[in-house]
Amino acid sequence: MRKVQFEPKGFHAPRSGLYLLYGCIVFLFLLFLLRFWYLQVLRGEDYARQALENRLRLERVYSARGLILDAHGALLAENRAAYCLALIRDDCPDIPGTLAQVSQWTGIPLEQLTAKYTQDRRNVQSFEPHILVSDIPFDALIRIEMKLPYWPGLSIVTRQRRHYPHGPLFSHILGYVAEANEQELTNDPELALGDIVGKQGLELRLEQDLRGSKGLQELEVDARGRQLSCDVKTLPHAGSNITLTIDAAMQQAASDALGDEAGTIVVMEPETGRLVALLTKPAFDNNAFAARLTHEEWDLLRNDPRHPLLNRSIQSVYPPGSVWKLMMAGLIMSENISPQETVFCGGAVKLGNRTFRCWRGGGHGRVDLQRSLVESCDVYYYQMAERIGIDKLAAYARQCGFGSLTGIGLPHEQKGLVPNRAWRRSRGETWQKGETLNVSIGQGSTLVTPLQMAVFVSALLNEGKIMKPQLLAATEPEIRDTLPMTVEQREFIVTAMRHTVEAPAGTAKRLRRRDAVMGGKTGTAQVVKIGDVRLKTHQLDYEHRDHAWIASWGEKNGKRYVVIVMVEHGGGGSAAGGPVAKKMYESLFGPEEIPAAPVRQAIAAPAEGRNNG
Amino acid sequence: MSPMDRRLITHANWGLVGLMALLFCIGLANLYSASGIRMGEGLEVSSYYQKQMLWGCLGLGGMIFCTLFDYRHLKSLATPAYIFSLVLLVLVLAIGKSAKGAARWLQFGGFSIQPSEIAKISVMLIAAKFLSGNKDSLDWPAFFMVLLLGLVPAGLIFKQPDLGTCLIVLLLLGGMILYQGVKPYIFKTCCVLIPLALPFAWHFLQPYQRQRLLTFFDPTIAPLSTSYHINQSHIAIGSGQVWGKGFLEGTQNQLRFLPEKHTDFAIAVFGEEWGFVGCVFLLTLFCCFLLSLLTTARDAKDRFGSILVAGVFFYFFWQILINMGMTMGLMPVVGIPLPFISYGGTATIVNFCLLGLVLNVSMRRFVFKTH
Repeated sequence: MRKVQFEPKGFHAPRSGLYLLYGCIVFLFLLFLLRFWYLQVLRGEDYARQALENRLRLERVYSARGLILDAHGALLAENRAAYCLALIRDDCPDIPGTLAQVSQWTGIPLEQLTAKYTQDRRNVQSFEPHILVSDIPFDALIRIEMKLPYWPGLSIVTRQRRHYPHGPLFSHILGYVAEANEQELTNDPELALGDIVGKQGLELRLEQDLRGSKGLQELEVDARGRQLSCDVKTLPHAGSNITLTIDAAMQQAASDALGDEAGTIVVMEPETGRLVALLTKPAFDNNAFAARLTHEEWDLLRNDPRHPLLNRSIQSVYPPGSVWKLMMAGLIMSENISPQETVFCGGAVKLGNRTFRCWRGGGHGRVDLQRSLVESCDVYYYQMAERIGIDKLAAYARQCGFGSLTGIGLPHEQKGLVPNRAWRRSRGETWQKGETLNVSIGQGSTLVTPLQMAVFVSALLNEGKIMKPQLLAATEPEIRDTLPMTVEQREFIVTAMRHTVEAPAGTAKRLRRRDAVMGGKTGTAQVVKIGDVRLKTHQLDYEHRDHAWIASWGEKNGKRYVVIVMVEHGGGGSAAGGPVAKKMYESLFGPEEIPAAPVRQAIAAPAEGRNNG
Repeated sequence: MSPMDRRLITHANWGLVGLMALLFCIGLANLYSASGIRMGEGLEVSSYYQKQMLWGCLGLGGMIFCTLFDYRHLKSLATPAYIFSLVLLVLVLAIGKSAKGAARWLQFGGFSIQPSEIAKISVMLIAAKFLSGNKDSLDWPAFFMVLLLGLVPAGLIFKQPDLGTCLIVLLLLGGMILYQGVKPYIFKTCCVLIPLALPFAWHFLQPYQRQRLLTFFDPTIAPLSTSYHINQSHIAIGSGQVWGKGFLEGTQNQLRFLPEKHTDFAIAVFGEEWGFVGCVFLLTLFCCFLLSLLTTARDAKDRFGSILVAGVFFYFFWQILINMGMTMGLMPVVGIPLPFISYGGTATIVNFCLLGLVLNVSMRRFVFKTH
């Protein structure tokens, strides 16, 4: 049997070394005990919440913006696919480098890109696609897409881009859309960065209807953003399609009629207040806004001396000139002044040391109300206004709808101005008697919008009902107010308008056509005070030329339209406005046909016999 | 079986073997969970945990092999092994298989090896051999000598670049030196000089390697930002709360929010599924494991064995500290795996072999004579 003998150990491990090892173990244990306790017990709930968010991402499902159609269903605003370059911050290891690469691909300066990125990043969650560049051109898209796999975090997302097939023709009505700005994003929680919103026109006014609602889907995704499952929480609802009362063909006709002039044409159905055409020139291409306008382009538009951004039919206010006399005629009759009462026009009238001239230097001789309208005698109105006074005049004009909004429902509509004593006082001035005379012929401080004039003329034809102008086919006609006129007074004015077209001395005789009943009133709104010698239009500088007005109506085969033409700095209402209105009626009623039996005789107007022109 | 063999077996540190087996099994289970990717309804498990089992078997073989000979023979083997590993390190710099700019692998026929792993062991051996020659605390010449022995392979590993392994080699060496003990004046000088040198080293890394230090823990993984990793890791561990989400129930893990979850961030998977209770249990296991190494070092019959086991102790200690510290945001991200828990072929085999050496030392802790 073998014996084993143990020898005493000759070696003892270094004591300090062993203490070091013990210390290491204790340190390790305590350090991580505390750390685990901090992470899992103290902050566990917070991290558990984050874990849940991490796994499930809520994503918006975009809905299509509503289409806008004309009265016959032609597309006025549609959606096209736009490809955008987006960045998901969580997946991107090198954001500055990625931005630099995007700048290189797209040609957008890095500073601009970085500035926009820094500004927008607060509005985008770190796992959401942050749109860096919208609407990338197709050739650039292909180039970028090929290199995309090498740039984690970058992706191409599809959004919709608004497109207006008619461009400038409808730009003032439709307005435009653009990316929501920071203010809109903060005010409207439904908006996300890169969303397009209406900025102007109907796009702005009908934003809530057109936008629809975004859906929400819960995506279960992994760290590489791969989708594991998708649960739609809310279905997206496409925006409503909107049909307008505007007829695209008539809008085009109005554009052709106006030519290159600056001005506006309003075509309205008097019975309903529906607008058939609402054209303003010069116009801008609203597609340029949807495709992200550059600063230079925007400045160019904003500083254009012809103001293409202005919707002249509702925003620009002009003195109405003689068109105003239609309202004045109502006033005179409602003041119990007989339409047969005459005034002698000697070409001018004196008030104090000021001379107020009639447009016809030689004077009209003895003029009654009807002749004053047909031949547009100024002196008649000077004298009547002096008798009636500004207070009654201004109050009556307001009752007729001037000086207040028509309620068309387009943004930035202007009220115009019916001047009175209170208005003067508010400016710290006193009312001068001479001003009353100026206001009586639609000059001085009087300002109306072409649309207000269209509403007024429509009311004359439509039993005195002041209709709310309608752009949307779906809305019911709405009576806003009633003219302060009796049936006889209205009919007197309407008949006078017919004579203005039909009488040889009538100022609107250019409108005459044998197949339709026509009525009109011209106006020439002075931009500068007439000197002693009235200069011809072509002798004046463009910006000093008169604004040409024509307020008219026409009836053929039971269809009635009110057409208001305003040519900015066009010169005389008859010469500049007449041919434009005539062309407009040719489109509305077709070319003039010679009827077998003249329409004029078929409809007997009560005032026809008294016509001396 | 001879009585001597039986005695050797009974003298072995079986507690250490048990702890090691338990840790390895926890690692396997965790790997099973980490490699499962939820696909629709079922779990599709990739082969990581199966591979790890294979590595474990190979490691077991290596471990048994490491117990068969008297560890004192290693003293004579230390110098050739050290030179061999230096040659390999130079070779890998020259012709190594480059994975995205990092040359870490040497291809030998069908399989590839990581010379830096071999270097770790050879440094441990040469240091143990050198230090055991000093009966007392180290003086300056001895200190510089052993430092030089470590700095040469560490520099070569740093050049690969593999910052994690380089750090482990240096820290391991530092631990061994401290275990042996140095003269008080050397300790004091180092206490002043090392903190002063650190900012310089950091500056020295700039700008190219500094970036590497932060992002270069594993170049094969898609370069997501490091903060993302750390944040996801925090969320995973923290969301486990006290009791954890349960085995295979971790959402962060299953849904791949965790980067490198089967290697460096394995503890995050474990923390999410087992919670604070599980983590403290694992931490306790690690501490017991280290304590078991400590007893072996204490009871070793000679200085070489004791220092060798201390080297193994530090080898594991630093890896646990750095890996868990990094995963829990206490340290910058450096690619160092968690022993037994992280997946890794070479690391598993090396771990087992080192424990085989420890068992070797514990088995032969008594000097006995036969009559």
